[in-house]
Amino acid sequence: MVTRYAYHPGNVAHSNAIEVADTMPLAAQSLGIELVPLDGATSCGAGIIRQANADLQVVLNARTLAQAESMGLDIITSCATTAATLHEDLITLRNDSRLMAKANDILQRNCGLTLTGDVNVHHLLHVIVDEIGIDAVKNAVKNTFEFSIAGYYGPNMQQEGACGGDDVFDPDYLEQVIAAVGGQPIEWSSRTQSVGVPGIFSEEKTVMKQTSAVLADAKSEGAQLVVSACNLSHMLLDVYQGKAGKTTGQETKVPTIHLTELLAFAFGHHIDRLAQLRTRVLVIGD
Amino acid sequence: MSAVVKVWIDEGCITCDACENICPEVFLVEDDTCIIVDGINPGEWGDDIIEAAEGCPVDVIMYEVADGDAAPPAEDTPAEVVEEVVTAEPEAIGEGALAGVMAGDRDLHILFGSQSGNAESLCSLIAKKATGYGLVGHVHDMDGFDLASMSGMKRVLIACSTWGEGEQPDNAEALFNAAKGAGKTLSNTHFSVCALGDSSYEFYCQSGKEWDEVLAVMGGSRIHDRVDCDVDYDLPAAAWMAEALSRIACVDDSGTFHEDLVAEMIAHAAGDTASASSGDVATVAMPEIQLVANIFRYNADKGETGVDAWACAIPGHHSVLDLLRTLKATQDGTLTFRDGAADDPTTGVSVNGRLVLPGLTRLCDVVRDKGQGSQIRIEPVAAYDVIRDLVVDYSSYDNLRAASKPWFVGRQREGTYVGNVAMGTMDAVVATELHTSNDISSPQLLHATSDTVPYNRLYMGPAMVCHLWNRSCDPRISDSSRTAIIESLAATNGVKSETDMASIHRQGSMGKIAAKSVLQAKTAVLSHDGYNGRHGKHVWWYTWSIKSSGMVNETTLYRTVLGPMGLVNNALSGVSARMIFGFTRTGRPMFNELLGMVAPPAGIGKMPKQFNSSVENHHEVISIFNEMDGRF
Repeated sequence: MVTRYAYHPGNVAHSNAIEVADTMPLAAQSLGIELVPLDGATSCGAGIIRQANADLQVVLNARTLAQAESMGLDIITSCATTAATLHEDLITLRNDSRLMAKANDILQRNCGLTLTGDVNVHHLLHVIVDEIGIDAVKNAVKNTFEFSIAGYYGPNMQQEGACGGDDVFDPDYLEQVIAAVGGQPIEWSSRTQSVGVPGIFSEEKTVMKQTSAVLADAKSEGAQLVVSACNLSHMLLDVYQGKAGKTTGQETKVPTIHLTELLAFAFGHHIDRLAQLRTRVLVIGD
Repeated sequence: MSAVVKVWIDEGCITCDACENICPEVFLVEDDTCIIVDGINPGEWGDDIIEAAEGCPVDVIMYEVADGDAAPPAEDTPAEVVEEVVTAEPEAIGEGALAGVMAGDRDLHILFGSQSGNAESLCSLIAKKATGYGLVGHVHDMDGFDLASMSGMKRVLIACSTWGEGEQPDNAEALFNAAKGAGKTLSNTHFSVCALGDSSYEFYCQSGKEWDEVLAVMGGSRIHDRVDCDVDYDLPAAAWMAEALSRIACVDDSGTFHEDLVAEMIAHAAGDTASASSGDVATVAMPEIQLVANIFRYNADKGETGVDAWACAIPGHHSVLDLLRTLKATQDGTLTFRDGAADDPTTGVSVNGRLVLPGLTRLCDVVRDKGQGSQIRIEPVAAYDVIRDLVVDYSSYDNLRAASKPWFVGRQREGTYVGNVAMGTMDAVVATELHTSNDISSPQLLHATSDTVPYNRLYMGPAMVCHLWNRSCDPRISDSSRTAIIESLAATNGVKSETDMASIHRQGSMGKIAAKSVLQAKTAVLSHDGYNGRHGKHVWWYTWSIKSSGMVNETTLYRTVLGPMGLVNNALSGVSARMIFGFTRTGRPMFNELLGMVAPPAGIGKMPKQFNSSVENHHEVISIFNEMDGRF
C-alpha cells in the first residue's frame, strides 16, 4: 500500500543536512510512502521569525499548509522543528478565527490559496509507527545495525498533540525503530532535552554545555551511535560535538546520523556509506 | 406596633440582603451571615422586624414577642392561621412538596465525552454543585459505560466535546454508536446536554448536538435546552449547569418532573451551594492500578544516590502525593518530599519527565505501561540542587527573583467614582489577558521547565521573564518602571539567554502560557535593542533570508551574525573542519552541487551553500512579507 504525503524537506536539508535530502526519498520509497514535492514551501521559520513578528510566521506557514491542503495531502517532514512549528501555527490558526481570516485574506489576494485547517502535519517517525507500522520497517531491513544506539528526539517534536501516539515525556517510537533495524536502543534521560539550537549564534557557551550534556549522557549509557530525529539538533550533535567537549571537558565524541540515514542504510541504500559508518563506529569510534 | 422584645438570627442565613433592605437599622448583612446591629431596641422596630422575618426566604430571623414566645412569623399569627390557609397554602404545599421531591432516589448521572479533559472537568464540577440541589452526582466516563443501565436512570446530564471535523471524542464514539441503534429505552429518563466546541470549525458542537438528538429519539425527556459552548465555555456552561440542575433536581423518586417547584429549588440551592462552593472537587473514581513506583533517593550525609522501586496497588484517581504519603507511612519513613496542600507551588516533582504538582496529578494520568507493567518514575525537579530525595533547594530561584526587583511601581491614572471611593478601571480584554498570562500554578516549576536554566545559572529563567513581562503589560504600571523592566529583560542574563522555548512550551498549559509571554518579551526586547547584538542579528538575518529566497541561508547567518571573529573561533575550535570534512563521515560527495566550487568553503562537505535557489512562486513570499512587515 502506498501512502501519499506532501513532503516538506525542513529547514536545512538543502544546506548543512544535505544527506537528509539524499536519504529521505530512499527511506520513504522502501516504506511505501510517496513523497509529493511541496516546491513552493518556505522555511517554517524555526521559531526564529516569530521572535520578530509572530503573525508573519503564522501567515507564511499558512501558505505552506494551504498548498498541501489544496493537494488534498497531509504534510510529512523529517525535521522535528518543521513538524512542531507547522503544527503549532496550524493550531494557532484553528483556534484564532480572526487570524485565520486575516491569513486567508492575504493568501487569496497574493497566492490564490485558501486554508480551512483541514490538513495535518506529521514527522516521519510518527508516520512510520502510527501509519506504516513497525513491522513494515522490519520487513524492509536488508542491513542490520548491531550497535548500541541512542535515539535523540529533542523537545520540538515532543509536544502535546504533535507526537502522534507517542508519549510526550517518555517516548519510545525511536527506540522501536532502532530495535526494528537490529540496533540495541539505550535508555537515557536526555533524549528529549534541548541542545539549544536557536541559541547557537548568540548563547554559544550555554548551548555548548547543553550539547555536551546530551552527548555525554548518551556516551555514558554506552551509545556507540546517536540517531537524531531532529535535523537541526543533528548539526550541534555532530559538527559541534568537539567544541562542546572542549567547553565542558566531557567525553562527547560519538558518530551521529539522521533518522533518514539510519533507515535508508538499513533498507539497503548507499551501502558504501553504511560501510563507512560501520568503520567509524567499530574501528575509529567517533 | 408589635411588642418585639428580642430578635436574633438563626443558622442558615444566605445573605440575600432582604432583611437589611426592609430594616437597615436592625439588620446588617455581612459576608457570611446577617447580624443584629448592636444596641438597637427591638421594640422600636417591631413591625419592621416581623416584616423582615416574614420576608426571609430561609426563615432564620427569630424574634420574641412580649408574651415570651420565640416565633418565626408564619407560625406566630394564631388568629389568622385559618384565614391565611389559602394564601399560605402554596408555601405550605411547596415546602412539603419540595421535601417530597427530595426524598428517595436522588441519583444524578453525569456522563462526559472528552478529548482534552474539559468535559470531564466540567462533569466533576456538576457533581460537586449537585449536592446543593439534594442530588448525588455520579460521574461516568462514556468509555465503557453500560448503555442498558441508562434506562433505569431518572436524571442524566451529558457534557460532550467535539473532536476534529464534528467527530465524537474517542471515549464517546462506541457509546454513541450503540445509542443510535438502541431504540426507545429512555421512557423515564430526563436529560440535558452541554456541548463543547470551537465556533471556528464548520461542525460546531456537533457531538453535543448529536447526543441531544439521540437521547430524544431514545425517548428521553429534555428537561432543559442544550447549550453550545465555544472555546471560552466557563460562563455559558455555568449558566446551563445552574438551570439544568435546578430543573432536574425537581424530578422526584418516581421520575415525575415538578416544574412548579423549580423556583423553590433554586432558593433552596442558594442556601446550600454557598457552602458547596468551597472544598474539593468531586473526583471520578478510577480502577485500582498495579504499578511499580521508581523513586529517586539521595542522602547527602552518606553521599548516596539511587532509585528505590516499590510495587503498589493504588486507585488510579489517587494523586502522586497520595502515593508518596502512602509509601512514607507504610514502607519507608525516611522518604523525603515536600508535603503540603494540593496546589502548594513548592511541592513540584518530575513524574515520568513531566513537571507537576503531585497533589494535582492523578496517577491514572501519568502512569505508563511500556510492556513491562505500569511504571511511574518520580524524580526531583532538575533545575535545582537536591537537598534530600525529592526535596530541592529553591534558593537559586529566590535569589534570581530578588535580584530582578519584581515589585510593582504604579502610576497615577484616571479613576471612576463608585459609591464612596474612587477606583481605577481597566479594559476587560486587557484584564482578561493579564489574568490569563499570570495563571501560573507554580513559578518554581516554571523556572525548571527551561532546558537552559541548568546550564546558565545566571539566566533569570522563564518564571521571572513571565512575571516581569506581564508586569510591563499592566496598564497600571508607571512608565519609568516599564522602561526599567524592559531594560532588565534586555540585559545580560535576561530573556535573550533562553536558548530554546520549545522545552517550556511542552510543559502543559502552564508551559504554553509562559512560552507565549517569553516570546512576546523577546520580541519587545529585540525591537528595543534595534536588532543589534548577535541575538538580534540572528533573528533579523534569518527572517531576511527567508524573504530573499524562501529558505534559510546559513552562510548569511554565519557571516553576518558571528562576524570575522566568530568564524575564526569556529575555525580554531574545529567546527569549520568538521563541517568541511563532513563528507568523510556521511560518505556523500565532497561538493554540494556546483555551487560548492564557486565560493568555497561554502558548499563543501556540510558547509551550507553560498546561495539558495528560490522556492516556487517566490513572489508570493515577498508579497506576504510586504503586507505583514515592511521592515524586511
